[in-house]
Amino acid sequence: MHTLIIGYGSPIRGDDAVGPLLADRIAEQAAQGDWPDHTEVQARHILTAEIVADLEQATRVIFIDAAADTAAGEVRTLPLRPDPTALSTMAHFHDPRELLAWCEGLYGRAPEAWLVSVGGAAWDYGHFDLSPAVHAALPAAMAAVRTICALAAENTTRTHQRPTS
Amino acid sequence: MSRTISIEPVTRIEGHARITLQLADTGEVEDAKFHLTQFRGFEKFCEGRPYREMPALTARTCGICPVSHLLASNKACDDLLAVTIPPTAEKLRRVMNLAQLLQSHALSFFHLSSPDLLLGWDSDPKDRNIFGVMRTEPQLAKNGIRLRQVGQTIIETLGGKKIHPTWVVPGGVNEALTVEKRDSMLAMLPEALEIAKDTYAFFKTLVPKFKDEASHFGTMKTMFLSLVSPQGHLEHYDGFLRLKDASGRIVEDKVPPRDYPRIIGEAVEDFSYMKFPYYKPLGYPKGIYRVGPLARLNNADACGTPFADVALAEFRTLQDDAGPITSSFHYHYARLVEIIFAIESMQRLLKDPNILDTRVRARARGNRSEGLGVSEAPRGTLMHHYKIDDEGLITWVDLIIATGHNNLAMNRSIKEVADAYVDGTDVKEGMLNRVEAVIRCYDPCLSCASHAFGQMPMVIDIHNADGEVVRRISRD
Repeated sequence: MHTLIIGYGSPIRGDDAVGPLLADRIAEQAAQGDWPDHTEVQARHILTAEIVADLEQATRVIFIDAAADTAAGEVRTLPLRPDPTALSTMAHFHDPRELLAWCEGLYGRAPEAWLVSVGGAAWDYGHFDLSPAVHAALPAAMAAVRTICALAAENTTRTHQRPTS
Repeated sequence: MSRTISIEPVTRIEGHARITLQLADTGEVEDAKFHLTQFRGFEKFCEGRPYREMPALTARTCGICPVSHLLASNKACDDLLAVTIPPTAEKLRRVMNLAQLLQSHALSFFHLSSPDLLLGWDSDPKDRNIFGVMRTEPQLAKNGIRLRQVGQTIIETLGGKKIHPTWVVPGGVNEALTVEKRDSMLAMLPEALEIAKDTYAFFKTLVPKFKDEASHFGTMKTMFLSLVSPQGHLEHYDGFLRLKDASGRIVEDKVPPRDYPRIIGEAVEDFSYMKFPYYKPLGYPKGIYRVGPLARLNNADACGTPFADVALAEFRTLQDDAGPITSSFHYHYARLVEIIFAIESMQRLLKDPNILDTRVRARARGNRSEGLGVSEAPRGTLMHHYKIDDEGLITWVDLIIATGHNNLAMNRSIKEVADAYVDGTDVKEGMLNRVEAVIRCYDPCLSCASHAFGQMPMVIDIHNADGEVVRRISRD
C-alpha cells in the first residue's frame, strides 16, 4: 500500500508553483506523522521519464498541478487513465497520462491515478507568489488530496475484509 | 518552379525548430536551413543583476541540462572571485556533471533516437515513438529509464533536488558529502555500468545496418572542438581547449579557456535566433567545427577508464581511414561510450577517500571585473562569460551554448541528408524523418539556445514559387 503524491510546476511562474508548494506542505505534515503511512511525496519542476520507475512501485499516484482551463482557484479532482496518445514532442516534460501509459506498457500495470488541479490566474516569469485566488484555494486542494487518500484507504480496507468465496 | 518544404516543429529534440528545404524545378534540394524560431534573450536580461544570482538565473535556461549551466556559471563566478576551489569541491562538481551527462545521454539515446534506430526511418510514424520501442525492445526502454533514474538520483543526492539544484555555489559547493550519501550513490553504479555495457554491446550489432545513413548523416570535413585534460584525455569539467581538423591534425592545443575569444567568433544569420560560432582564424563560415560527444572522443588521446578505453578503441574503427570519425551519425555511438566513461569515473571519484573532506568552499568577494567559466555539457562545450561593475552587478554576458557551436554543422548536415534522400517530385515521410534524424544525432538543446513552451503539431508545407501552399503534410 504505497501512495505517491507528485506536485509539479515551475516555482518561478506564479500560480504554476501550486503543485510543488502543496507537495512540500504535505511532505512536512507527513514528516510529523500527520498523513497516512506509506505516503511518498515528490515536489518537481516537470514530469520526466524516470518517474515511470517510481510509478511502477506505487499502488496509487496523485498528481497535483495548476490548471489553465478552469476558473482561478477552482479545485478539480479527475481520475487519470494511461493514454499513449498524450505524447510529448519534447522530452523536457511529459503528460502524466503518457507516463502512466509508459508504466503500463513496460511493467504490465499502472497505478490508480488522480489529478488534483487548481485553476491559476497568473503565470508570469520571475513571479514567486501565488495569486490571491490560488492562495485561498490551498486548503481545499489539500483536502482534495486527503480525500483521495482516505477513500483509497477505505476501499483497501473493504477489499481486505471481503470474505473469500 | 522552385518549392520550399518546411518541417515544423522538428520532433524528439529539446525545444522547437523548423527545417526548410528549398527545391529546384527538378525536385533537387537547392538549399536547406535549420531555424531556431524562439527568442529568449538571456544575455540581455541578466544585465544589472548581482553576479551571485547568475548560477540560479542561467540554470533556468534549461530543464534538461540545468546542471551544465550551473557549473559553467559557477566557474565564471569562481573566476570573478579569483579563487581556486578546494580539490574536494572540484571532485564533487565533477560527479554532478557526470551524473548530468549520464541522464542526458540516456534520454537522447533510449528515448529520442531509439525509435529511429530500432524501428527504422521508414516505419509508420504512428508506431515510431517510445511506445513502439517498448513493444519491440521493452528491456531497452526499461534500461533507459533506469539510467536516467540513476543520473537524476545522484544529482538529487548531491544537490537536494533533481531540477535546478542550488548546491553548487561560487567558490565550491555548500555542503560536504556524507558517508551515507556516498555509499547510496556508489551502490547504484555497478548495475548502471552493466546496463551501459549491455546497451553498448547491443548497439554495436546494429551499427552495420546503418552503413548508408552513416555515410550521409553529416560526413562533412569539419574541425572538432572540446576540452581535454592536461594529459590530453577525455575531459568534461576543466582542462584546455583543443581543436582538431578532419585529417586529425591538432590545430589548437592547450588553449586556456580564458583565451577562447582569440579562437571563437560568433556570427548571426537572419533566419535563426541561434548564433553561429566559428573558428576565427578561418573566418565565417569556413571555420566550421563540431562539439559534443563525437568531438570529445575525436579529440581525446584516451578516456582514462578501463571499459571506456576499450570502447574508444572500437569507436576509432568505425571508419576505414585513419583520423577523426566524421559522420555525425556516430554521435549515438560516442554517447554510449561517454555513458560508460561517466559511470566509471563517478565510481573512481566517489571511492577517493578525500571525497568526504569537509573543506569544500573558498570564500571571497568579487576580485575581478571579468569572469569566464567553461565546461563540457552533454551536447558540447559550454561557455559563460561575464563582466561586472564595482558593485558586483552584471554589465555584460556572453553565453556560447553547446548547441550553438554545432549550428553550422547542423545546417550542413540537413543539406547533405536532403541531397541524399529527399526526392522533391515525390516527398515521402521517411525522407523527411531522416532530415529530422540527422538533427537528433546532435541532440540539440534549443531550450538552451533559446527556449520554447507549448506544443505545435508537425506541419510540412510545400510552397510554389509564389509562396502558395501546394501540399501540406501534418502529424500531431
